[in-house]
This record gives sequence, C-alpha cells and structure tokens, in this order.
Amino acid sequence: MADFSKDEYYTNRELSWLLFDKRVLGEAKDKSNPLFERLKFLSITASNLDEFFMVRVASLKDMVNAGYKKKDIAGMTVPEQLAAVVEETHKLVEQQYSIYNRSLVSQLMDNGLHIIRHHEDLNKEDAAYIDRYFADDVYPVLTPMAVDSSRPFPLIRNKSLNLGALMRKKNGKGELVFATVQVPSVLSRIVEIPGDEQKVILLEEVIERNIHKLFLNYDIVCSYPFRIMRNADLTIEEDEADDLLQEIEKQLKKRQWGQVIRLEVEEGIDSRLLKLIREELQIEPEDIYSINGPLDLTFLMKMYSMEGFDHLKEHGYLKPQPVPELAEEADIFGAVRKGDILMHHPYQTFEPVVNFIRQAAKDPDVLAIKQTLYRVSGHSPIIAALEQAADNGKQVSVLVELKARFDEENNIVWAKKLEKAGCHVIYGLVGLKTHSKITLVVRREENGIRRYVHLGTGNYNDTTAKLYTDIGLFTCSEEIGEDATAVFNMLSGYSEPRSWNKLSLAPLWLKDRFLYLINREKEHAKQGRNAHIIAKMNALCDKDIIEALYAAGAAGVKIDLIIRGICCLKTGIAGVSDHITVRSIVGNYLEHARIFYFENDGKPEYYCSSADWMPRNLERRVEILFPVEKPQLQVKLRHILDCQLKDTVKASVLKPDGSYEKAGRKGKEMYNAQMQFCIEARDAAKAKNNAGNKRVFIPETHHAE
Amino acid sequence: MKTFAAIDVGSYELAMKIFEISSRNGIKEIDHIRHRIDLGSDTFATGKISNERIDELCRVLRDYGEIMKSYKVDQYKAYGTSAIRETDNRRIVLDQIAQRTGITIEVLSNSEQRFLDYKSIASGGDVFNRIIEKGTAIVDIGGGSIQVSLFDNDMLVTTQNMRLGVLRLQDRLGRLNIRPEQKEGMLDEIISSQLAVFKKLYLKDRAVENIIVVDDYVSAIVGKNVDGLEHSSVEASAMDNFLERLRAKSVQEAAGILDMPEENVPLLFISGVLINRIAKVMDAKMIWVPGVTLCDGIAYEYGEKNKLIKASHDFEQDIIACAQNISKRYMGSRRRGETLEKIALTIYDSMKKVHGLGDRERLLLRIATLLHDCGKYISLVNLGQCSYNIIMSTEIIGLSHVEREIVANVVKYNHMDFQYYEAMDKDGYITGKEYLTIAKLTAILKVANGLDRSHKQKFKNVKTTLKDEQLIISVDSSVDVTLEKGLFAKRADFFEEVYSVRPVIRQGN
Repeated sequence: MADFSKDEYYTNRELSWLLFDKRVLGEAKDKSNPLFERLKFLSITASNLDEFFMVRVASLKDMVNAGYKKKDIAGMTVPEQLAAVVEETHKLVEQQYSIYNRSLVSQLMDNGLHIIRHHEDLNKEDAAYIDRYFADDVYPVLTPMAVDSSRPFPLIRNKSLNLGALMRKKNGKGELVFATVQVPSVLSRIVEIPGDEQKVILLEEVIERNIHKLFLNYDIVCSYPFRIMRNADLTIEEDEADDLLQEIEKQLKKRQWGQVIRLEVEEGIDSRLLKLIREELQIEPEDIYSINGPLDLTFLMKMYSMEGFDHLKEHGYLKPQPVPELAEEADIFGAVRKGDILMHHPYQTFEPVVNFIRQAAKDPDVLAIKQTLYRVSGHSPIIAALEQAADNGKQVSVLVELKARFDEENNIVWAKKLEKAGCHVIYGLVGLKTHSKITLVVRREENGIRRYVHLGTGNYNDTTAKLYTDIGLFTCSEEIGEDATAVFNMLSGYSEPRSWNKLSLAPLWLKDRFLYLINREKEHAKQGRNAHIIAKMNALCDKDIIEALYAAGAAGVKIDLIIRGICCLKTGIAGVSDHITVRSIVGNYLEHARIFYFENDGKPEYYCSSADWMPRNLERRVEILFPVEKPQLQVKLRHILDCQLKDTVKASVLKPDGSYEKAGRKGKEMYNAQMQFCIEARDAAKAKNNAGNKRVFIPETHHAE
Repeated sequence: MKTFAAIDVGSYELAMKIFEISSRNGIKEIDHIRHRIDLGSDTFATGKISNERIDELCRVLRDYGEIMKSYKVDQYKAYGTSAIRETDNRRIVLDQIAQRTGITIEVLSNSEQRFLDYKSIASGGDVFNRIIEKGTAIVDIGGGSIQVSLFDNDMLVTTQNMRLGVLRLQDRLGRLNIRPEQKEGMLDEIISSQLAVFKKLYLKDRAVENIIVVDDYVSAIVGKNVDGLEHSSVEASAMDNFLERLRAKSVQEAAGILDMPEENVPLLFISGVLINRIAKVMDAKMIWVPGVTLCDGIAYEYGEKNKLIKASHDFEQDIIACAQNISKRYMGSRRRGETLEKIALTIYDSMKKVHGLGDRERLLLRIATLLHDCGKYISLVNLGQCSYNIIMSTEIIGLSHVEREIVANVVKYNHMDFQYYEAMDKDGYITGKEYLTIAKLTAILKVANGLDRSHKQKFKNVKTTLKDEQLIISVDSSVDVTLEKGLFAKRADFFEEVYSVRPVIRQGN
C-alpha cells in the first residue's frame, strides 16, 4: 500500500491559517465589495491575527521554551514553524497596511470621511476642540506612569494600546526618563471632530498631542504608540483543580502576566525609546512589528458602525427569514411532530430555537429541559427562558462550557445566574471541552413521554446566529431522543449507554465513525462502484483523517472539500490527491456549518456535526455527529453543498502549489452561494405566506347573472 | 399509564431505568442511567461497605430521586443484589440510606434476582415463547456467579448457580502468574471442570438447542455493527468466529471498534468464552442475547402486579415444575405428592376466611406438599431435618430466601414437633409475620398428611366445609379410614391451636 503519511503531503496548520487570514484580507482588497465592508474585513483580519498570536504563536513559543522536539504534521520542527510564521505574519501585516493606506484611507476621504492621521495636521479650530475634549473627557481617566529608580517598569496590559515617551526633567540636564500611559479602552478610539466636513482622529493622537500635560515637570523628548501581545493560551490543569470554576477565575487574572510575544510600534519610533521598551519587555527583534499606520486596526469595526455611511455597506444580503414550517408564534412541538425541520441560519431566523426554549419553559406538560451552552451572547434570551423554566418547576440541566476560549468571564456570570435560578449547572467535564450543541425537551403527552431535540452545528447564541452560517435540526425521533437522553446522562457523569441509535460522539467514537465512513467509500471505489465524499467544515488538520482521505482518493473516490479555514491536506499530488478538490468560502457570513455527504454506493448518507476534522475536535472535545435521514431534508443539504461547490464569487480554490485562487476567474458566470441562499430563504418564506393566503375564502358578493 | 422507576443497586453498578407502563403500549423504557460504583469489592473482602462508598451511593441515589421527580414517577422499586445481601450490617446500611435519600432499598436473594432477570427475558413475549418451545437454557452471567436454568416443555425445571462470574474469573486469572496466551486455556479449564459436573448431574440427555444469555458485556455489543453479531439471535458458531476476531485485536483496537471502554474488553472476552464453552457443552445451535437487565425485570414485575400488563408466561408453573423436579431428584412419589397437594389445597381454600393468607402462601403450601418428604432420600429417621436442609440448599427459582425458609420450615414441622416462635432458632429472616405463616401452613400440611397416612390416596376425593368452629372433612364411605382416624387427634390438636377450628373426619353422607 502506498504511504500517505509523508511529510511533504501536508501543510503546516499555522501557515495554512495565515493563508485563511489572507483570504479575508482579499475581501478587504476586493473593490467589488462596498467600502465599509472592506473596512470590516480588514478589521477582522486584525482581530483574527490577535487571537492567532495569543493562542497559536504563544503555544509555539511555549513549545520552544519547553524544548519540545516533536515535529508537526508537515515535518517541521517548532523553531522552523515559528520562523516561517513570523516571516509570513510580517508580510501579512505589510499587506494590511498597504490596503489601509493606499486604498481605504483615500477612498474614505473621497466619500467624505477624513481620517486625520497625525495631530500635527489638525487645523487650529479642530485642535482647540481636541484639546478641550482631552481636558474634559480624556485626562480624568488617564494613569500616566513614569519610570525611575524608585518606580519600576509598570505592567503593560495585554492587547492594550499605549503611548511611550522619553522625557527629561525640566531645567535639568539629567538623563532620559521613560513614561507610559495607556490609551483608555473605556473611551472610543475614534474621536469625531464636529464641523461641516466629517473628520475623525484617533484617541492616541489626542493624547499624544497633550501628553506634556501629564508630566508637568518634564520636557517630552518624543512619544510614540506601542502595543504588546502576551502569551494567553489558557491551559488549565484540570486534574489538579479542585474547583474548576475557581481555577478559571484565577487563570483569568493571571492571563495578562504572560510572556510578551509581539510588540507593535509605529514606524519611525525613536530608537532610544524602542531599545528601552524592547529590553524591558525582553522581546526578540523578529517579534517587533513596525507599523506604517495606526496600531490595532480593530477600530475599523467601530468605524463601520458610524452613522451616515449606510450607502457604503452591503445590503444585498437579506435579514434572516422566517422558517416556513415554523411561523411566528407557531406551536413548535406540534410542528416538529409533523416531521423533522431543518434550518439554515442565518438565511433563516434563529428565533425558533429561542422560542423552542421559551415555549418549553411555559408549557405545563414539559418536564425537563437540558441544554449545552458554549458561547452565549450577552443578555441571552435563552438564558432568560431557562431561568423561567426553572422558576416554573421544570428540571433544567445546563452544561456551561467554561473553557470556551476568551469567553470564560462571560460564561461564569451566566452559569452563576442559572444556578441561582435553580437550574442544575454542570461546569464542563474534566479534561474535555464540550463543544456539542444539543437541546432536549422532555414532554409528557397523551401517549407518554415524548422527547424533542434540537441539534445544531452552531452555538446557542442569538447574536452570532445572524452572522454565522449553521444548520439546525428539530426532531422528535424516538431514536435520537433516546440518544439525546443518553448524551445528557453522560454529561452528568453517568456511564455511557450500552449502544447509540443514531448519534456518534467525540471523543470516544466520532473519529472512528468518520474513518469508517471514509473507508467505506474507498472500498466501494475499489469495487468499481460510485464513491463520492463532500465535506464542508471550518478546518481540516487531523492526520488520520487526511491519510484516510488520501487513501480513498487514490482508490478513486471523488472528494470535494469545502473548508473555510485551515487545511493541512494538499491537492493535486499525483496518485495521492488528484481526485481531491478543496475550496474555501469567505463571504459576508462566516461559514460555520459542518455538513458531510457520503455517496455510499447510491444510498447516500448525510450528517451534520459540531466537529471539524481537527484532533482537538475529535479527541479532546465532546462533539456530536447526527445523521439527517428524511429524504426531503437530505435534498436541502445536498443543495447547500452543490451551491457552495458552484460558487464563483466568494470561493477560492486550493492549488497544488499550496496557494488559493479565486474560483471565479476566466469569465465564469457569477454565482454567490450566500446570496443565493438569502434569495431562496426569502422565496420559501413568501411561498408559505402565499399558500396561507389562499386559505382565506373570498365570498362572492354579487350574484352572477 | 404509570411512570415507574426501577433501581438496581448492583455490586459494580448503580442503575436506574425509567419506564412508562400501560396496558395499551406495554412497557416502554424512557431513560437508563448508570453509575459505576464498586460496592462488591468492599463487601466481599470485609463484609462491610465503606463510608466513602455509602456517601457516593447516597449522593447518586439523591440524584436519582431528583430524576424520578422530574419524570413525575408514580412509583419506584429499588433492589440491592449480592453486594448489599452479603453485607454484615445490612439493616443499618439500608436504614441509613433510607434516612439520607428517602429511597428504600429491598434486598433480593440470588434466586429472586435471577427470577427477575428471567422475567425480563420473558417480557420478550413471542420471541421468548418460540425459543423455549425447544430445549433451552438461560445463562445469566453476573460478576460473581452465573446461573444456568433449564427449560423442559416450555417450563423452567431446574436452576443452578456456579461461581463462574466474569469478575471472579478475571480475578482468579489475575492471581495466576501466567503468560497472556495461557490465559484462555486456563479459563477454559476452570469453566470446563465445573460445567462437566453440571452436565453429569443435571443435563443428562436433555437436548438444549437454544441458549439465552443475560450479561453485561456481550449484550452490549450484540445488535451493533459487529460482523456476525448484528442481530440479537445468532448461530452458536458466530461466537466462535467473534472470539477468533477478538483475539487478533489489541484491547485498544477492540474498544474502538466495539464502542466500549477498554476495561470492559477483557470482561467481554471472558463472557464470550463462557458462553461459547456452555454452548459447546450443551451442543446448542442458537444463542439469543435479548440485552435485558434486572431493571427490565423489576418493571415487568411491577406491571404484572398492578395488572398493567398481561403475563406472557405462567411463572407460577415454573416454580411448581422446579419443585416437582427437585422432588423427583430425591425419589419423591409423584402420586403421593399430588394427593397431598389436593387435600392441603382443599383445606387451605375452605379455611381462607380464617387464615387470611393469599395466593402466594397458597403457592408456598403447594411447594411444601411437593417437597414434603424429600429428606427421606437421606434418612428415613431424620426426615424433617434432612428435608429442611435439602430445601435450604436447593435453589427454587422465583422464591425469595424468606419464602424458601417458610417452605423448609413447614416441611420440617410436618414431621417434627412444632417449635414456638420464642424457642425457634431464627436466622434473621424469620419475623413474627413469617412465623405465623409457617404455623398456619404447617397446621394444614400436618392435617393433610394425617389424612394420607397410609399413602394409599384414600382421601383423593376429599371435600371440606367450615361450619361452627369445625372443619368437616368428608370422605367416601367405601374406604377404610380407621388408621387415619386413629392418628388424627394429635394433628387436629395443633390445627385447633393455630386456628381455633377443630378438623373432624366424616364418612359417608
């Protein structure tokens, strides 16, 4: 048998991730996108990069520190990876600012929004306003800190924007003193200047202009903004933690104390100042990014929501449409009893899921509600409904995953609130992150207990449900209901069931299940039968899965992958992956659904899941794979996959050389799958409405002659 | 419709099943919750359950209580099996648990427990009835022991317990210092030696075509996507093939393929070897693994008692058949037994108002008549004590320990002078209530036995009537009952003492 495990068949995941961020940057560059959307995409690349540093680069640094010797999937050592990542990141940052400076700033100007880059460029009148603003609003919240023999170098907070300055005692020759002040995050970064023309200046410029007012006994020699990023990957020693909750709270406080792994400074920073900061923070030269423009481009997201620029935003995508099977105020239980319901968010509204919990909370026949919550939005209506349910005497069990990255603080608040309301709250499982999205409502009906289950690919978060594309399934199938009960029994710490009817769970069974399904296609191909896999997910980097895909592809299985982010699989390797295509869709909505299609020799099987084909999903998380078996729902899923495979506008195709290329070149017809789904959702909702209207009888008011 | 919770406080697992039971839909399982807890190791080693384990048990039981509440359960039944049964301070422990959790645990004897397992199998209905048409054995594999029960003409006739439980076998193998590849051979040897005895004593030329398996491990994989075991009923050879494939896999591999925890794989293997060996010894053709648990049997019993479901099988007949079989083993006379049964039941039925006992006690009386002289196989002199000992050492499926004690005592005092409660050598099972049952049944058996003194079935067509503090026993005028009448007085005295009713023999019209 051929060896599919060779290093050269795989791409390093960090480098593949950087390619993804580059594709997002491509959207910022794309002139066919409305200007403000381009700002948004640029902002996303910046916040993506921040997270990438805090988690991935930090982890590489940890490995270097720990002398970790193991090579990655592509055979690269840790220092090799780190070097390559740093090199690519520098290039990416350059591209970010090139787009910002060369195209966005001037186009904003053309559209009547003037960003004043340096405070020196302010006219007298505006300068006076800015100074007043500084005195009234900014000054009171600043905490300037100077460093001298009696005051040590202050703690610079992670991800915070700061101004660093060198000063000298007035009327003295003395040596240079370092001072720093944090640009306060409680104030808007964008300061609007009143006047006929719409002008803005960034907060750090406002402070810089007035920095001398903070250090009255000093002369300011120079001042420049800088920003640092610290190692923040939260690794909890769960086996040692007595109380998981306390442990996470403790870790949160510690987080900002991590090692500095990135320093961003303005281009042209005074070399003495830079040297001082660098030595104090002990940072390597390659980790210093000198930026030609404002640091931390995430302020562009704020700019996106500035009033008066609606015409520069995208309006082609419709707001979430009603789900035809579930009209507003519809009895969800009744509707689900009629048949399984598949929802495609955000084209279709997430409201039914919220209503599901709300109705269950009020319904006198409902005995219990059980749910897993991973990332919950602020003021979540779901939390409110669960609280109400507990109030109404239902048994409410909620698994709140505290290990959801960067959301811990948020989650702890909700968890405590639910506990207070009388819900049974489980704070995650030791050693495993619970990533599955499942809700179970147990209802006592005439013929006995009936279980209603919602399974999804996305979190129970009504805010992200408007931005992420996800699949949700409502069902009251006995078999899935039984499995769902078993899932919650397991999550509550009871033993696994003797067998599962329909669901497959990670970390125990899911990977084997996927490998089985892939290998089954391979066997079919070997016997000359039809074999085809279409898999859509966010990331693919599990080596066992990729090896299985290579083996299946080599045996003749046609494999079409739709992978938004990281993809460690390579296409076009002769005899290995020449039957495999990979495309990535980066569009208006964040692609998030995981859908899997297996041809199975003419008896196709469809699955949806909360899991990507990543080791962390398959081995260290609780995930669920659920089949979609109703033929009419299978048609819907196939349609979604087909449309995405047809996309020529937002799709990029992975080339054998490892780069991505927009799918729509060479005069192909324009086809935007996300746009298409919007239209279809609208039409489906409309058709339902029209059909409803037909039920209204129109009485004849005149007697026909 | 009733919502019912069955709790099984097992030696290694605390399980609860929630059921909906209705006459329309039968028994429907709603939830199955299992918590691993090792009570067995504590009890079997020290005779006591440690405080930590009791705390854990109470914590989980309280949780179970909450779950029952959430399902609005109408009633529950919680049974403890061997770990609880063999705890020295059983009563203290159970009272503590009841106080702390509000859940009352009752203790099952081995035969009651196996009987419930058997009822759960029988709840399979048609499939079960079809299978037992042919010679069938139920192999109920537990942690400590296995129970093999044999059917004859769709009635269960004998049952034997063997100390071949999977955990015990694993433990024994663990103590032997042998190479891994020697293990299976060793295992086979241990199993075969006990099975050979069983075969010689009980199997003889009984043909066993089907084996019904109750266990925790093979049951877990049958019906899944395991080659050859996709269905709950397989040909006996499939087990061979399965073991063959299992041998070729590492524990990790097997656990992955079979969806089971790694620590269960060796136990699955032992269970498989056991089943396979038993199938070979009995030369069985088919193996049926219905995948039922004790909780199913508890639910079945509840449904049956509350008339929510119709019994698909006459379990009382099994108990009788079992007793008949024991009687046969000890050379009891069938005809004599039947006559005695007839007379005793006739008296029992006419005394109903006086004794106030129910159907279950009637069954115990029947069994006592069937086994009334089994001890003579050992000694014609010490008949009472020997009968008592035989009954107490023989398992009668379906009878609880207390019930067996009652039967044994009734048989004993049929032959010996009755001992009053205050003087009786009680072992903790017999309380005032049981004592009275023993006295009442003994009184009846003594009278019945007195009427058949000559063993000539003279009182075959006996009739009895209760009238003015007298029990009139009428018998045909054609037979000579001088002997019986002569020996009757003493027996009648005891009867009168117990019931304040004097039995009187009347002849002719």
